[in-house]
Formats: sequence, C-alpha cells, structure tokens
Amino acid sequence: MATHNVESEVTGSVWKVQVEVGDNVAEGDVILILESMKMEIPVESPADGTVAELRVQPEEAVQEDQVVAVIES
Amino acid sequence: MSWAEEVEELKRRRELAKQQGGPEGIAKQHGYGRMTIRERIDTLLDKGSFQEQGKATAVPDYDDEDNFLGFVPANYVLGFGRIDDRRVVVGGEDFTLKGGSPNAAGLRKSIYAEHLAIQYKIPLVRMLEGGGGSVKSSGKRGGSSGGDSVFSEPRFKVIADAMGEVPVVSMAGGAVAGFPAGRMAASHFSVMSADTAQILVAGPKVVERALGVDMTKDELGGAHIHAKSGVVDNVATNETEALMQSRRFLSYLPSSVHQRTPRYPCDDSSERMEKDLLDVVPRDSRSVFNMREVIEMIVDLDSFFEMGKDFGRSQIVGLARIDGQPVGILANNNRVYAGAMTAEAAQKYRRFVELCDTFHVPVVNFIDQPGFMIGPEAEKKGTIRYGMAAVAAAAQATMPWCAIQVHKGFGVATAAHYAPNAYVLAWPSVESGALPLEGGVAVAFHREIEAADDPIAKRTEIEERLRAARSPFPRAESFGVHELIDPRETRPTLCQWIDWIQPQLDELKGPVKFSMRP
Repeated sequence: MATHNVESEVTGSVWKVQVEVGDNVAEGDVILILESMKMEIPVESPADGTVAELRVQPEEAVQEDQVVAVIES
Repeated sequence: MSWAEEVEELKRRRELAKQQGGPEGIAKQHGYGRMTIRERIDTLLDKGSFQEQGKATAVPDYDDEDNFLGFVPANYVLGFGRIDDRRVVVGGEDFTLKGGSPNAAGLRKSIYAEHLAIQYKIPLVRMLEGGGGSVKSSGKRGGSSGGDSVFSEPRFKVIADAMGEVPVVSMAGGAVAGFPAGRMAASHFSVMSADTAQILVAGPKVVERALGVDMTKDELGGAHIHAKSGVVDNVATNETEALMQSRRFLSYLPSSVHQRTPRYPCDDSSERMEKDLLDVVPRDSRSVFNMREVIEMIVDLDSFFEMGKDFGRSQIVGLARIDGQPVGILANNNRVYAGAMTAEAAQKYRRFVELCDTFHVPVVNFIDQPGFMIGPEAEKKGTIRYGMAAVAAAAQATMPWCAIQVHKGFGVATAAHYAPNAYVLAWPSVESGALPLEGGVAVAFHREIEAADDPIAKRTEIEERLRAARSPFPRAESFGVHELIDPRETRPTLCQWIDWIQPQLDELKGPVKFSMRP
C-alpha cells in the first residue's frame, strides 16, 4: 500500500471540502477547493485510491506545500 | 631510425585513456546505477559521431615514496560529436577516476570545452559529475603553485562569455558539488536525473562541519529540492532521459548566436482550429482553466517542451514550434496564485526572455496576468525588484514577439508581457486595467462603500455594475490591439505571423546587448 500526500500549491484558505475520509477517488479528482487571490483553486488527488486523512477544514488557512490530505492506494 | 617506439607508446596511452578508472572503477560506477562518462557521451550523440580531443592526456602518478607508478588518464573526457546531425562540443568528468575531482590535465580540458564551443560556434553539452577542487591537491609535497598568475584571465570569464555565444546545456548524472555545481547553474538548460544526481554547493561533511547539520547529499540537494529551487530547469527520471531532454532542448535553438533559429518541415495544418478553445476560459473569473491545454491546442502537435515546471509555478515557460518554427512560449498559470508574478516566477520569466533574446527565438505570450504577487510573504521576498527585472528584460528584448491577451492583464506586471513592436491579439475573454475589479472597487469607492448601510452589498453592487459595462470591443475599435480574434483562430493567425517574421529572423544574428546570465 502506498500513501500519497496531497499538497496545496498555494497559500490560501479552504473554501469547500469535496470528499470524506473513506471515499474512493481517482487521480485528478478534486479533493477540496481553496480560495486564493480571489480565485477558486481545486486541489486534486495525485493518485487513484482512498481518502485516508483530511487535515484541513473549511475556512482554515493553508500554506504553500502544506499537506492537506492523504490518499492511500 | 623510425618513430615506431613513440607511436607504439602513443597507442598504448590512447588505449589507457579508454580504460578510464579500470574495470574496478567502472564496476563501482555501475554499482551505483550510474553511467560512465563515455557511456553518457555515446547515449547523447548520434551513433559513432564522437571525435575525442586530447586523447592522450594523462598525469603521472607517484606513490608516497615518489616512485613512478604509471600514467592516470585525465579525468575529463572532451570532444566533438553530432546531435541530429549538427556538431556540438561534449565533455564531462570521469568519475571512475579519483571521484571526478580534477587532475591537472582534466581541469585544463574542462575549461577548454567552453573555449572550443565559442571558437567553433557550436553548442556545448556538459555531463557533470564530481566535487570540484580538493584540499589534497594543495597540500601535496612541493606545495601548491599558489594559484593562477595575477595577469591570467579569470577562469569563469569564458563560462560567462559562452552563455552569450552558444547554447550551453548541463546534465547532472551523479553528485555535482562546488565548481561543477556552478557550471550546472551557468547553463541555458540544466537537467538532473532523479535517481542518481544531487547538486550541492558543498556536500554533507562540509555542511556538518560548518553548521552542525547532519543530512545526506540527497536531502541537501536531491531532485526534490532543486526542481523547486530553480537551480535545475528539469528533472528526468534517469540519466538516459536527461540526455534525451538535452538533445530535445538543442533542437529549438541555432548552433550559435551567429546563426538564425532553425525552421523545420511541419505536418500539422496551419489552419487547424480547436473548437474547445471557444469555451476554455470560464465566464466566471473566479474559476480556473488549464493554460497548458490551451498551449497544446495551439502549437504544433507534441512540440511543447516545458522548462522549470515546479519553480515559479504561476508562470509557464517552454519551447515549442508553430508551423515548424521554434518559438518561446510564456503563459500564466491561473491555478497557482491566479497566475500572479511571484519573485520566483519573475526570475524564471526574466531568464527565459533572455534565453530567447540571446538566440533570437520569437516569443508567443499567452497573457492571464493578475499582477505581481501581493501579501506579506511576497513583500519579504522582494517581489517588485525581480518583477521589474522581468519587465526590463521584455521591454529591451529584440526578437519578434506576439502577445495574446487571453484573460486578465492587470497592474505593472502586465508590462512584462510586451516587447517593443509586439504583434498584439486579444480574445473576447480579455479583462484589463490598473487593478482587478474586486480589489480596485474596494480602493476607489471606499468612501461610498463605508457610508452605505450595508457596505458589502454596496461593494458587490458597484463591482457588478462595472463588470456589466466591460467589453472587449473598445480595444479593437481604438486599435489598442492589432486584432480581436475568435480563440479558435489563434493557430492560423500565429502561423501567418510566423510567415511574416521570417525576414526579421534572417537578419537577427550576432550577440545581443543583454544576453542570458546564470
């Protein structure tokens, strides 16, 4: 089993979380949407797998390169 | 008396040079999963095209009692070869000998590689591995020579000069530290193999001694570090791919600044119009779109070669072809900070503009620029200085330039997207001004907003009113752009432009005033 960190490419705040722990996701599926520089930035799954961890909640601030979720495959 | 004896000895020495560090040294190199320098050269070049220079270079080796042991080949291999049938200079440290740290003849050859490329006006490909100087060499019996003479030319001048004369590519196949790491950075294109290479100013032992930090060389300077630091342009999965990327990069450039950019036959139709371009930019300006897909739809099929993807990620740069003509591509990536120009993106932008200017490669710029990056981090990084360096590079650029206003174009940063005499196209989705509507309204109408019973509702109302009044037509009516186009017409329009600029490209030769620096 491999774990994949889902990292935010930008500093911003969490607008919507689109999945729950335990959900199956495919590579490219949107895990959550951030708001940054007045745009809605989707953060996508780097791999097919299951959502093992969600480390942020709506309205929470995130930093560039922060791990926001973990996918297991 | 003939010279048979000397000729025999010469043959022996040439053979010796090919033995490199002997079967043991080669096995050790292979044991680390790395190619030898001669294998790298053979992989890079057109088959059988290597013509070695300084085949018999060697240094005499003595043991601690000064007994002569024999000759050790120079640990730098140098020569001419061909890539896609065009001549290049290639060179690299032989890591099977003394860890690649230069012996006297090796150092001379490594420096001569740069001279050779400039003299013969052909690209230089360095395949780097090794650690630069060693204190051992200065502590030897007889002492050191005390360095170069006071009147000798600085050793690094030729390295800097080369970047204004010929394409310089560096590939890291193993650990590269010190002087060779400097060479890596002093390149138009650099690539490291993810599985075997590290790039370090200084290795773990030196770092531990100076800073008390215990880290492996991979933790210090592995591919995961330098893809994001911007020290290398690209990361390849292995050495072979790194060498193939080096070949590909060179295909877009002339052999030197004294030639025009090449042009290739093209079997992708100049009339191809991708229908998806019509709705690729969302009407809602808060929604993102994929700029890389836009580029791929417009340039010749499979011709886009992106550089530095993970550094300054809000800006996309790379080489491509349009109707067979190599071009530099600049494009904002709205998925990262809305495509804002960060300090890193600005450095990437400036270097790329200088690369294209140096080699007279025309530029096509897809603009979706919300402005310089803002906020506390951006201020601390000195964004405006790097940003203005990018603006200056574009403003003084001399190559043909096409600017396509795709979406946003706000603030001073937008000036970086226009060179003198640019051909300017706009899509109907274009928005521009001093400030984006949202932030701009908050500033310009702050009294009115603060005086309202419901300030947020008031702000939204003003934003909506101004947004409704926005239209792409005035800029076409006033000749503020050359053409307002259907996005699907972008490729045919660019192919026409490529045809128009051919006489300019024929004329644009020689060194430029501001060539690329590391």
